[in-house]
Amino acid sequence: MMHTAQIQAVSDSPVKAPTRRALAKQQTRAKVLDAARRLFSEQGYEGATIRDIAAAAGMSTGAVFANFTDKSDLFREIMLTDMMALADAMREAATHGVNAEDGLLKIFVAGYRFYQTQLPLARAAFSVGWSPQDGPALRAAPPVQTLLNLITEQLTKGVQSGELSQDDQIALRTQMLFDAYLANYDQAIFQGWTIDALQGRSRDQIRILLAGVRRS
Amino acid sequence: MTPPRDLVLTDSLIAPAPPLPPEPETAPDAAPGLRRTQKQATRNRVIEAARELFDTQGYQGTTIREIARHAGVSVGSVFTTFASKGDVLSQVMADRLDGLYAELDRVMPHLRGATVERLRTMFAIHFSFEVRHTRLFLAHIAAAYDWTLPSTAMPMGKNQRLQRIIGECLEKGVAEGDVCPEVDQQEVIDLLMAAYAWVYRLAAWNDADAPAMTAVMDRQIALIAAGFQPRK
Repeated sequence: MMHTAQIQAVSDSPVKAPTRRALAKQQTRAKVLDAARRLFSEQGYEGATIRDIAAAAGMSTGAVFANFTDKSDLFREIMLTDMMALADAMREAATHGVNAEDGLLKIFVAGYRFYQTQLPLARAAFSVGWSPQDGPALRAAPPVQTLLNLITEQLTKGVQSGELSQDDQIALRTQMLFDAYLANYDQAIFQGWTIDALQGRSRDQIRILLAGVRRS
Repeated sequence: MTPPRDLVLTDSLIAPAPPLPPEPETAPDAAPGLRRTQKQATRNRVIEAARELFDTQGYQGTTIREIARHAGVSVGSVFTTFASKGDVLSQVMADRLDGLYAELDRVMPHLRGATVERLRTMFAIHFSFEVRHTRLFLAHIAAAYDWTLPSTAMPMGKNQRLQRIIGECLEKGVAEGDVCPEVDQQEVIDLLMAAYAWVYRLAAWNDADAPAMTAVMDRQIALIAAGFQPRK
């Protein structure tokens, strides 16, 4: 996709035309993404078809395919946009943590709050995230790494402040904290847990996962 | 295991048939039995075909139509036994896991040693059982989040048998003094299940074998154990 953009930018000589065209293209993409977000939320990843999404956006399937290679491309774009916003929210929340353990809890809760109103989309994301075809790409996406880094930062901070002892399993601990964070979405999605309930559960789980390095 | 939904007593070859009225009393004696046998044979063929397809193509990559073609039956006859694709997968897993849990029920009471070791052995048994079908397992997890899954189907996280086995393992640890009685066992169970699921992802995406899966799980169990062992 980046290639096409570059080629266009080079070959279109008038200065104004590409801007207008780029703007129109951007608007089309935004319309498709809006419609897709709605349909994935209503019908799940499996249930929403490109044809439905095109119809909901008021355009042809051809116009959708001109902007996105396929459904998984479209879905990934939505998820990655969200995750970047999510990372910002988590980073901000972490600054209010009194220590590493609390910082981690604040990160978790910021995530649950972020998705509180769009749990169906989160559910679709889990369905894609576990699939053998699209899962690896989603999990390896840079924004996911950003979320993992936020967790690692808290652990490192805890070691520096003396709250935690030197940790030779920081990568494993980070990944397990992240998976615990993700796994709790099941309670939100299938059992309607409130943010408070998720927070209580997360606090205990973070404590368990830090027990090996906590001083006191 | 829940019995297959046998409510629709028809071998109709056309797609989703409406429920028929109960069979008339005057039906020939042999017919219901024969029909049941045929139905069972169809079910087995569908399950077998579906297992192969889910295992190679994942949940999203497999359609009911493909399953039917692979099994050599009509799409309609798949739907007379199964409510949806999610239901087929749920039955495939239930059939497979029956064997695994029978084995675990037999082995677990005889395991000795610390809780950490018993948990490690228990998960190692899972991995050696499932290693050739890690993609099937991922399909099973992915399906839990799918809209088409009927409420009767059992998503991975709700696997009560595995939860019960872990729970018993922890209870025994409490009795023997290496699991802190104050720890919320459900939270520990959920952490272990999350770690367990993660190992499958690692295996399916990185082609890990059973020993590699076990090694990763062992480290995760040790990390969690630091949180459930009594503080010294």
